[in-house]
This record gives sequence, C-alpha cells and structure tokens, in this order.
Amino acid sequence: MPPILPDFSNSVKLKYVKLGYQYLVNHILTLTLIPIMAAIFIEVLRMGPDEISNLWKSLHFDLVQILCSAFLIIFIATVYFMSKPRTIFLVDYACFKPPITCRVPFATFMEHSRLNLKNNPKSVEFQMRILERSGLGEETCLPPAIHYIPPKPTMEAARGEAELVIFSAMDSLFEKTGLNPKDIDILIVNCSLFSPTPSLSAMVINKYKLRSNIKSFNLSGMGCSAGLISIDLARDLLQVHPNSNAVIVSTEIITPNYYQGNERAMLLPNCLFRMGGAAILLSNRRSESRRAKYRLVHVVRTHKGADDKAYRCVYEEEDKESKVGISLSKDLMAIAGEALKSNITTIGPLVLPASEQLLFLLTLIGRKIFNPKWKPYIPDFKQAFEHFCIHAGGRAVIDELQKNLQLSSEHVEASRMALHRFGNTSSSSLWYELSYIEAKGRMKRGDRVWQIAFGSGFKCNSAVWKCNQSIKAPTDGPWADCIDRYPVHIPEIVKL
Amino acid sequence: MAEITYICKRTVVSTKPTQPGKYHSFSVLDHLMEKNHIRIVYYCKSWGEKEAGEITVSLRESISEMLTHFPKVTGRLIRNEKGNWMIKCNDAGVRMVEARAKGSVEDWLKIVDREKELKLVYWEDMIHKPYFWSTFYVQAWADKTLGQKMVSPPFFHPLPPRRPINKTSNHKPYADLINHYKFSIENSIPLLDANHTHTTITLSFSDHMVQACMDMVQPTSAPNKPNRPSSPFEALAGLLWICISKVKGLRNGLVNMSLCLDQRKVLGLDKGFFGNCMVCNKVHSNGLEEHNLSQATKVIGEALEKMDNEGIMDLIEWLKHNDSYSHPLMNNCDLICASLETAEPYSVDFVGGFEPIRVSYYVEPTIGIGQVLIFRAPSYDGPLGRVVMVTLPKDEIVKLCEDELILHLSPRILMGVARNHA
Repeated sequence: MPPILPDFSNSVKLKYVKLGYQYLVNHILTLTLIPIMAAIFIEVLRMGPDEISNLWKSLHFDLVQILCSAFLIIFIATVYFMSKPRTIFLVDYACFKPPITCRVPFATFMEHSRLNLKNNPKSVEFQMRILERSGLGEETCLPPAIHYIPPKPTMEAARGEAELVIFSAMDSLFEKTGLNPKDIDILIVNCSLFSPTPSLSAMVINKYKLRSNIKSFNLSGMGCSAGLISIDLARDLLQVHPNSNAVIVSTEIITPNYYQGNERAMLLPNCLFRMGGAAILLSNRRSESRRAKYRLVHVVRTHKGADDKAYRCVYEEEDKESKVGISLSKDLMAIAGEALKSNITTIGPLVLPASEQLLFLLTLIGRKIFNPKWKPYIPDFKQAFEHFCIHAGGRAVIDELQKNLQLSSEHVEASRMALHRFGNTSSSSLWYELSYIEAKGRMKRGDRVWQIAFGSGFKCNSAVWKCNQSIKAPTDGPWADCIDRYPVHIPEIVKL
Repeated sequence: MAEITYICKRTVVSTKPTQPGKYHSFSVLDHLMEKNHIRIVYYCKSWGEKEAGEITVSLRESISEMLTHFPKVTGRLIRNEKGNWMIKCNDAGVRMVEARAKGSVEDWLKIVDREKELKLVYWEDMIHKPYFWSTFYVQAWADKTLGQKMVSPPFFHPLPPRRPINKTSNHKPYADLINHYKFSIENSIPLLDANHTHTTITLSFSDHMVQACMDMVQPTSAPNKPNRPSSPFEALAGLLWICISKVKGLRNGLVNMSLCLDQRKVLGLDKGFFGNCMVCNKVHSNGLEEHNLSQATKVIGEALEKMDNEGIMDLIEWLKHNDSYSHPLMNNCDLICASLETAEPYSVDFVGGFEPIRVSYYVEPTIGIGQVLIFRAPSYDGPLGRVVMVTLPKDEIVKLCEDELILHLSPRILMGVARNHA
C-alpha cells in the first residue's frame, strides 16, 4: 500500500477516494474534452445559423489549398497504417493430455526412488520432503521410460516421447482449427533439454509433410521461458511475412533428463518436472480476426544473464559421479524476484492505467527528492489485467509472485491448479493455465491476460493478450474430464 | 530351446487416484494363507497379426482400468499394532515384469516341465521389505481388456457373520474341522528348502474319462442304500488318493490327506468376494484297508458334506478367538488335494473369443507329502473335463504315471516329467 496515507489504509473512505482518483486520471482526456465540446456547442447555438453561414463564406479556400490539405491527410493516414505493426491473432491452441497409464502417484514415485537410490536414504528423504511440499497432485504424468525400474532413458525413448507429445498436440490443433498442414508458413519448436539431429522441427515437418519453403526454427537450451520467446520470434516474423500462419510447439522432453545420481540440488527437478506440451497457431491474416481467440498486445523480454549469480542459478552440469543433472541454486527465488522487478519496470508503462503510473511517478519523485526512506510504490496490476498465468515452476514461485504482485488467490488459482494436475510442464504450463481459465468459463471478450515465465539464464518474459471473443467452456481439452473437481484445496504438506 | 529374455520391470497404476488414508485388514482365513503363494501361468493364442509389443500395451491399459476397482491390490502390506499384516491403500501400483520367450506357444507346450514353467512366472523373495506382489483377479482383467464391464465386480467386506437360524439347544460345534486346524498348527514342520526334489505333472481328463471314473466309483453292492452320485472332484480325488498311496508304498491303508475347497457358495458369498475362502478338512481313512476307489470316494464325499455353513462358522469363530497363533503353513503334514474349480481358469478371455490354450497353477511352497490341484478343463474337453496337476517327489511321479488305474483311464499328459536333454 502506498505510504502516502498510511493510517487510512483500512478505511472505507480511502477506497472511494482511490476509485474517484482512478476514474479521474484514467479518463482525463474525456473529462477535459467534454466541457470544451459543450462550450463550443453552446457557442454555436448562440451564434445562430445565419452567423455560421457568414463565417463559412468568409473563409476563402483555394482549390490548391484544399487539394494540399487533402493530400496531407491522406499521406499521414497512409504512413500511419503502413507503419502500424500487424495485429497478431492467436487463432487457437491445443494442450497435450498425457495418457492415464503414465500417471505417477506419490507412493509409486517414492517407491521407485527408494529402489533406484538404494544406497542413499538421505536423498530419498529429501525427495519425499520436496514432494510433500511441492503442490503437485496424484495425477501428474511421467513418460513411459521413467516408469521402468531402473529408468531407461535411451535416445529412442526420448524420440518416442517427443513424437507422442508433439504429434498429439498438433493433431489436436489441426482438428480444432481446421488448419491444413500445407498452409503452415512458419514453424517454431522449443524444447530446452532434448535437441537431436535432425531437430524436432524437422521431425514435425517430416511427419506432416509440410511445404519445402517453410521457415522452421528450433529453439533449445532456453529454459522454461522459451515458450514466450517463441511467441516473440513468431511475432517478429509475422511482421515481415504478410498473410501467414505460424505454428509454435512448446514442450519439454523429460526422458533424457531424469537425473540418476544422488546430488540433492539436482534431484529437485525430478520431483517437479512432468510430461506436457502445447501447440499454438498464430496468424496475421485479417480473415482470422473473426474466429481468433486472442490478440497479442505486448511481449516484454528481460535477461539478467549479465549478472554472474543469475547466470549460474540454474546450471546443467555433471556431478561427482559424472551423472548429468540440472543444479538449482539456493538463491533462485531472490534472483527471480529481481528479474520480475526488471520486467515490471518495462511492462508497467505499457499496460498500466494512467492513474497507477501517476502514483508510481509521484512516489518515485518523492523518494528522490523528499525522503528516500519511502517504500517504492508497487503498482496494482490487477487494474491492468483480468487474468494472470504465472509459470507453474513450483509452489514457491507462485507464492512469491502472489506476494509481490499482491494478487488474490483467485488470480493465481489457474497456476496452482495447473501445477497440481499437470506438474511443472516447463514452457507449456502457461497454456495449461490459460486452458483452465477458459474451461472455467471465466474468459470474456476484452479481458486482458498476462503470461509470466521464468527461465534459466536468468530470464523473465511476459506476454499480454487481449481476448477477442467470449470463449465458451470447451468440451475437449486437457481439463475436460476433471475441471469439475477443481479448484481443489492443496494442503501445505501432504502426508506421505 | 526357448530362452526367456527379460525386457523390463515397471509399475502399473490405476487410472483414478485412490482415497488416501484407507486401510484394509485381512480376515482370519486370509491370515492362514500367509505362508502360501500361488503362481499361475496363462497361455493364450494371439489373434491376428499383432506385434508382441502392441498386446502388452493394450494389456497394460486394461490392467490400469481394472486396478481402479481394486484399491486394495495397489496398496502395500504393513504390520498393524497386533503384528498382523494389513493393507495400506496408498495407490502405489502393481509391479509388472515383461519378458519375451523365443519360439511359439505350441512348441513350448510340448517341451515344458515344472522347472521351465516356473521360470515364466517372475518371483522375488521379498523377505524383509513389506512389498506386495499381488495376485489379482485375472477374470476381471480379461473382461476389461475386451472393453466389457466386469462380470463379477469385486466385493470387499469381512467374512459374513453367522446366519441367524433357529438355535437348537444342544449345539455341538463341529469339532473335526477345528481339530484338524489345531493339529496342523501345532505340528507344522519348519520350512525346509525342499522345492527342488518335487516335480509336477499335468494330466488332462476329458469328459468321457471323468465319466468313466465316476462310473467306476459307483459301488456294485448294497443296492438298497441310495447313493448320492459323486462329483467329478470327488471321483478324481479318490482316484489320485489311492494311486498316490500305492506309489508311496502303502500296501494297506491310505496316506493322510486333506481336502481344500473354496467355500464361497457355502458361506453365501458372491463370486466377486475378494479374499481367501479356501477351507481344509482332513479325510478320515481309518478303516479303509484296501485300495477301493468307491469307498475312498465315499469317504471324501462325507468329509465334503461335513464342511457346511455351521462347521465353517465354528471354525471361523475359533480362529478369531485363537488369534495368537503365528500363522503356520497349512499343507505340510498331509497330502493336500485342492479344488480350484470355482476359479474357472478357462473362461478367462483376453483376446476376444479365444479361451486360453492352457492354464497352470502352482501353489507354493511345496513340501511334505505332495499336492494335487484339480480344476476345470477347456471347453473342448466337455463340461465334466478336469485338469489335474500333481506335485510329488520325482521318483514317485514316475511310478504314478505307470499306475494301472490311471493308465486304465488314459488321461492326456499335458506336462510330463523333465527330460534330461539340452
């Protein structure tokens, strides 16, 4: 809360003052324009029609002057429309629904852990504690290769998982949108930890027999925020190529990256990462504006890699026994907070209403000039967005963001429930969360959505979407069979 | 010839998560079976040109669905306060081992013997760890595989209480059944690792062979006494009792034998009851000097009749009161003759229209005198057809095959003694 009026924070009066202030500042243009127009109107009425016709005749207009003005107007209009960035529409997207036979209940996970880590009961204890507090449910899924005792992470199994996830999501997308595979102009696949040759995008092109002049990209190594990086890339490409379709596939392949050693910092991802994927269709065609679900408004990317600590906080390396795993450092949350602040500073002016920006500016000036001890004003993002999709990296991430952005539990419900039902599916988790909001029937026309993702590097990326049309609760999709059970209360610690 | 390549071991879970915090305790009859385990092999024809991997995938999916109905099967064994086992329904799943054997099923069946067959059933001695290698309702699994509803959905409830009847004033509990159990419990021989000296053969008696056996059983004398026709089980049990006694060298008299039957019907339980209902009773061979088939069968029939609802209820109550006994092995002093007829192995249908080619049962551990398992045969053998699996020490088995009574009936030998060849 702003420290300007600390004693009145609980007062009802303050609420109305705030509302009045917001209304005033946000609609300042309208509010100043209306009196001016009213004044002109009254003046016109007062003058009477004869005086107006006299006034009109007294203006001498040359043909040349008229033509020049007309050309000027047309020229300015043309320049404006030409330089306006193309609107990017999200036509539709599809999330991968894992087969129910890949389910991993807690008891099964712990048994496998005990059998595979026979000589390290402390590591098993650690995994159990992580699992109890993780916020995951009993229906998250791991790929088939990990169900073996011991796990069999062969390259063939990894390709198998990739085919299963990506092809299911794409088939689902084709069915939903009626897209012909030959109509795809741009293909971007992002999968951080599995990068074979030929690439996964080549695998997709091979399977669906896409055109030979397709622009394909494969992004790997970019962590959990790679989904939004792909969106950004697609947006830039769609500015250059008119009348095009872009398909983005976001996934994470778990099979080759299941850590088989004993190092605790590296065992953490095993407990949280689960199978998942999403396929998204973007387009800049005007004809899609009628059926598109969302419009892309902003994408803001922040990279903190220049800082050494941020660079090393999510690091893939070999442990003492030469087993490869991803090590998460202890100050991950602090670094994430810093990255978020950076991102907010950039995105704030783009999305916040004038009232919030003014307050922020005033507090900033006040801190600089009057008293540096004033707490910085945290803008109220709830006024800029109706829905929030926070990357379901783990319970700690969601808790931290909820605290920092002062969000209510309903705002973070989509993130928590996606974490419970699907686990941390990396770059595709944002799409499961969006799907949850739609499945609950909460998405109305004009609603704005903020997707925030964190990734190794350390990166914080945001995307802002505006809902194009009210979305009816879908009958298919990953939440179709279980949405009625949600929201579910997730206890702090699940007793195992 | 046929090598078995082990492919993988994995866990199969149910499709829906179970409610946490549920526990299931075993009934007294379940506890008695603690030291025993059963291994079953089903040989099925594969229908159509399916790759071996495809079938395992569809089997895995169907077992997942089936397990949703059996939360007790996916749980784990833990000890309760009294030191007895109970199940914690923690949704951990069922361990499944996949392997591939070279060659066709038919070729395998020609050369199989006990040792080879047991290799097909994966076994691990879980001595210290309280893990649960479950045997489950294969029928329900098969039904699910074909996408059908389960014919007999499982019932989980404790054994039923005594049926309320007119209480007669002098009600003597059926002492024999109780005494038999008492005797077994007190005289249980400690477990010896004697598995390797026993071997098993499988004999298939078709419809007319069993009919012939039953005809032999009908006594020629005493026409004025109305005789209850004997069941196939009684007839075959009598036959084998006599043959095995001969083989063991008993010129007069018969070996000690206990019968073991499933008592679901008697207890008024549905076919879907999940739990042990096998009750054993000793057959009194006193007074039977010669090896007379009809007399032996008569005695068996009498013993079976005595195992009625009252008798079993008395037994169950006695067991409940005497809970302090550590649960012994039930088959170590006598020849056990068990009827697995209610199991209906051949009505299991995995592949849509084909019953299994063959089913084998092994109840372990096998020590003591020996074991006879009788169960129904495939439908082409007729409704009276039965398959008999006999487990005896090796030398006795060889003599059994040459016994004249058996040769007279000439059953088909499905699985013979191990032949010593490469």
